[in-house]
Amino acid sequence: MKTPPFKLFQPTTIEEAIEISSGFIQNNEQFDWIAGGTDLLPNYKWHLNTKPNVISLALIEDLFHLDSNHIGAMVRLHDLANFEDTHSIIRKAAASIASVLIRQSGTVGGNIALDTRCFWYNQAEEWRRSIDWCHKCDCDTSADCRVIANQNELCVATYQADLAPSLMVLNAQIHLCGPDGSRNMPLSEFFELDGIKRNVLKQGEIITHLTISEDANNWKGDYQKLSLRDSWDFPEAGVAAAWRYSAQSPDDGLDLRIATTALESIPRLHDNITNDALINKSTIDEIAIKLRLDVKPVNNTTFPPNYRKKMVEVLCKKALDGLKGELT
Amino acid sequence: MSKEIKGYRQQPGKLPFAKPGSGGREPFSKLRDLEMIPESEGGKRPQPKGKNRHDHLLTGSSVGKRTPLVDSNWKVTGQAKYGDDIRIPNELIGRILRSPHHYARIRSIDTSEAEAIPGVLAIETGQQHTDLFGVLPVTKDEHAMAVDKVRHVGDLVACVAAENEATALEALRKIKVDYEILKPIHNMKKSLDNVEEPIHDRGKYHIGQSNVQKRVFQEFGNFEGMKKPHASSKEKWKFAGVNHGFTEPHAVVANWEPSGRLTLYTPQQVPHYVHRSLADVLKIPMHQINVHRTFVGGGFGGKSDPFPHEMCAAILARKTGRPVRITFDRDEVFYTNRGRHPSQIEMNVHVDDNARICGIETDALIDGGAFASFGHVTTYYNGVLHTAPYEIGSFHYTGARVWTNKPASGAMRGHGAVNSRCAVELGIDDICTQLEVDPISFRLANLLPPHSSTITGFRITSIGMRECLERVREACDWEQKFRKLPLGHGIGIGCGFFISGSGLPIHWDPNKFPHATVHLKIDMDGGVTIHTGAADIGQGSDTVVAQSVSEVLGVPIEMIRVKSRDSDTSPVDLGSYSSRVTFMNANAAISAAIEIREELLKATAEICNVSKDSLVIGDRRIYQKKDPAVGVSYLEALHKAQEDRGALVSSGAYRTPPMGGVHKGAAAGLAPAYSFSAYAAEVKVDPETGITKVIKVWAAHDCGRALNPLSVEGQIIGSCHMGLGQVLTEEMKYGRNGSLLNPNLLDYKIPTVHEMPEVVPIIVESNDPEGPFGAKEAGEGPLLPILPAVCNAVYDAIGIRTNELPITPDKLYKQIEKKMKVLDIKSPLDLPNPTLEHSELQKTLDERTIQHRNRDQERKLNTEREPYYNGTLFGKVSTIPPEEQDENWTLSVTPSEEYLTKPRLAGSAWKHQEVRYMKKGDDA
Repeated sequence: MKTPPFKLFQPTTIEEAIEISSGFIQNNEQFDWIAGGTDLLPNYKWHLNTKPNVISLALIEDLFHLDSNHIGAMVRLHDLANFEDTHSIIRKAAASIASVLIRQSGTVGGNIALDTRCFWYNQAEEWRRSIDWCHKCDCDTSADCRVIANQNELCVATYQADLAPSLMVLNAQIHLCGPDGSRNMPLSEFFELDGIKRNVLKQGEIITHLTISEDANNWKGDYQKLSLRDSWDFPEAGVAAAWRYSAQSPDDGLDLRIATTALESIPRLHDNITNDALINKSTIDEIAIKLRLDVKPVNNTTFPPNYRKKMVEVLCKKALDGLKGELT
Repeated sequence: MSKEIKGYRQQPGKLPFAKPGSGGREPFSKLRDLEMIPESEGGKRPQPKGKNRHDHLLTGSSVGKRTPLVDSNWKVTGQAKYGDDIRIPNELIGRILRSPHHYARIRSIDTSEAEAIPGVLAIETGQQHTDLFGVLPVTKDEHAMAVDKVRHVGDLVACVAAENEATALEALRKIKVDYEILKPIHNMKKSLDNVEEPIHDRGKYHIGQSNVQKRVFQEFGNFEGMKKPHASSKEKWKFAGVNHGFTEPHAVVANWEPSGRLTLYTPQQVPHYVHRSLADVLKIPMHQINVHRTFVGGGFGGKSDPFPHEMCAAILARKTGRPVRITFDRDEVFYTNRGRHPSQIEMNVHVDDNARICGIETDALIDGGAFASFGHVTTYYNGVLHTAPYEIGSFHYTGARVWTNKPASGAMRGHGAVNSRCAVELGIDDICTQLEVDPISFRLANLLPPHSSTITGFRITSIGMRECLERVREACDWEQKFRKLPLGHGIGIGCGFFISGSGLPIHWDPNKFPHATVHLKIDMDGGVTIHTGAADIGQGSDTVVAQSVSEVLGVPIEMIRVKSRDSDTSPVDLGSYSSRVTFMNANAAISAAIEIREELLKATAEICNVSKDSLVIGDRRIYQKKDPAVGVSYLEALHKAQEDRGALVSSGAYRTPPMGGVHKGAAAGLAPAYSFSAYAAEVKVDPETGITKVIKVWAAHDCGRALNPLSVEGQIIGSCHMGLGQVLTEEMKYGRNGSLLNPNLLDYKIPTVHEMPEVVPIIVESNDPEGPFGAKEAGEGPLLPILPAVCNAVYDAIGIRTNELPITPDKLYKQIEKKMKVLDIKSPLDLPNPTLEHSELQKTLDERTIQHRNRDQERKLNTEREPYYNGTLFGKVSTIPPEEQDENWTLSVTPSEEYLTKPRLAGSAWKHQEVRYMKKGDDA
């Protein structure tokens, strides 16, 4: 297993990085960004969508800033998990990612923009040849999707990162910077439902940081992860929940947000369910059932989809345990 | 004292020659540690299990002491050279082109474009190397590379040697292979049927037109009792295939040396088989080949076959005239596999109204993948290795191993015994639940005694099963926990039984050649060089051999050096499999050391002018037992013995005593001794998710005598980890099109440190009469009980008995849902928690246990004991073989016509006829 050769660029400022990427776009040259490398390099070893040029973000100091409201894209997951001012839901999610060694390299930005995963994609080149290729990476082969046959329209590879739902329930904003300037949006609007496209990032655009509003400290909550082992494994399902009591909320003052990950090509904030639940004063069990019905996992990870679906209900109940007594 | 050599005249005034050597790191000799010397030899070590034939050889030097492995410093300082660490100047990199198809015929291979790439020095295909090889002489079915057909994804098609890896990989992409796709078989049940194109053709030995590679039928005992059992447990099991998951991927370096001979550097468990296979494939005599065993980064059975890539490296090196190194990626390790067979086992256990096991009926269909490997043996082991430690009334076994288009299954720690052991131990637990008796009591009241014969005629010598069970029961606080813990929290018991060395040296007649040979050489410096072919694969075989010699000669272990790497210097040895090394090599080492010991005693007797019989050996000193002041140092005795001849050399060998029956297959599972073990596991199961966590394990293993308690404990803990993988998380997953979905260590789920519970190792020493200083194996047997112990604990926790491994949360949750549906309950937290109220039978068991305990103790100590045959518990005369006293006693190895009218799954393999007996039109 050999990483194919690539040219490495190491800018020290965001401007320089964008300049390099703009140059590639103008010359029609392909390139990748690299942050911690724990996702990209294994994929390169497997010859998954390798590019001849790689721009490293590791020397851009501006991306490393971390305080209670600002999380730089290059902040190591280990540092995020161990930073006292990080919100407890985020800390729990960050500490559950992969293994302690990977958390030392892996970054927040890398985790948010994690490539989607699939049994038929995350395999060596020779393996993919044996199934007549995968259309997520071997594009020119017009290979059929192996998970859901006869459809090449939408890639159903699964988004298996832990951080996104916790950040979503705390209403995090994601900040991007690219050749066309900077922009930001709620994290829940960052993702795009396609295992290949994955998110709104345009060519040459990077995640610079995430912001969390001052009000996040009024929110309590939990992150629950399903995985076979307590280390190394990507989530097979993940549910984050957050709630607060405020004067602006309807009725009894409860606000509630729930987000899921590892069940589809994107993580999702389930506002439809929580809004409905608050209006109808649903019980935890009712919310959990609705959540289960709202997710559509496919058969491309370790656990079968029907089990993951059922477990969403259990994880949801466990995540909402702190609300027991409130919602009964 | 020494005699002047004639013809040499000392210069006047010159000092005498200096004495070489000092006698180890400790400058001064110590007195013998009497705590380590048995009472029968005048020491203080108690012998509750009786004497051992090596007692008189004990010097208190190293046996029984916690000894760091002699090669551990190389490993912890990073200086150990594993397969890929061998670097020879001017090396080339070899890579292998593998099949992308499950099953296909090779029409043609065009290598011209690849050969034209600068830096590519050689490309070879199977066409030029058509000689077959394989680990077992009866089932040679592998080629260096595919000759006509590829039989699984990952099968070898061609190999390339190039200046570097990138060039080699580029060349692989440029090789054009034209395949004719054949219809693959992935389902082992389908492999029982006749097909157009079986995966192999065994000529006149082929079984019908099917993919059955090996079939076994065995019936022993009186089946009357089984026809009307008091209680029965019947279960159909599915076991996923698992891989060894060793750290070091396969790697090999081949170098044709200037002498014209080949040296092959390879991390092998069995260098001798590679040696033989290389000679076959390369068509050169064995003496022109030196197989060098590098450090082995874990084997567990997965590095005991001779491998095609080893042949490829040698072929490429010969063609290019340069050294060739091949190192595997992890997916290639999975394609090579030889892991535990995926199996479907039907296990029926029957007991009579006296709570005796009146019958075990086993039917095991095992998926061998594309090649035979050790499968011939595995097919037997799935049956015969659960005929003990319990006394049973009858035993019916049908087994079949089939070919499928998957990577080959083979030998893996606990070879062939693990899955059916798990099934039988759960069957016993199930029956105990039905009978309302304690499962430990049940086992204690049904054990074979020491020095007995099993139902199929295995010769049991020492047996520490009773002590294992009793000590585990006490250590885990069984009485307070079993069936008394809350829902989701449980404890379970499981036992194991395993061979301590395979009784049959597959490649030669045991009457003509020994199983193991060890050479010793001692020169003036006093250091002892051991030459052995036993392969240290991390289990500590070098250490155990060094300890044995150190013990007999009374020298510290740092004065011993073990040379076990090169076939040029090692005596032929069968290597590290079937848990044979401690038993066989240490025994051979002891006999080699006895020869040297005799020389040293003789020399001392001569110097001190005392009788040889009055001497004992202590720490680097040989002296009179009754007057330690009379004696000489080890070096003085050695130099005296060396006079006129130089270095002392000796050779010792071990061969098994004659044993076993004469029926077909009688040799399978035959061993000079057997290990026994009993584990209790405590688990927590979340009924809402089906997630099982093992929180603590109490693991008692009877290894005869722990020569090195440190490594015995290491083996027990390591076995627990490995077994936990199989029971909870590990599985070679095949997708719906037959592709192996998880050939990497992220998706192949080996338990991490988080999943590993605390393990309390309990060493039981039954003192085997023939083992080296009483020792038996501790490498494989300790794996067996962890699987059933965990499964039985899961039942205790949530009342669900699994029949499929691994018990991943999704599978367990499915069973939870099923049970909820049956019981009509809404929440898994309302599942009923199993309880136990002892029935009348418990008293019967307890009484029998007391009787048997006395019986066993008597048999241990009485050297004039009478024979004991399985069947005694059922009223037979203990001293006469049951077949000679019971006319209804069956002993059959072929099925009857009647059986074939309604065979079980694997048993249906017997519906086919072998080609050699077939008339045209038969078996169509």
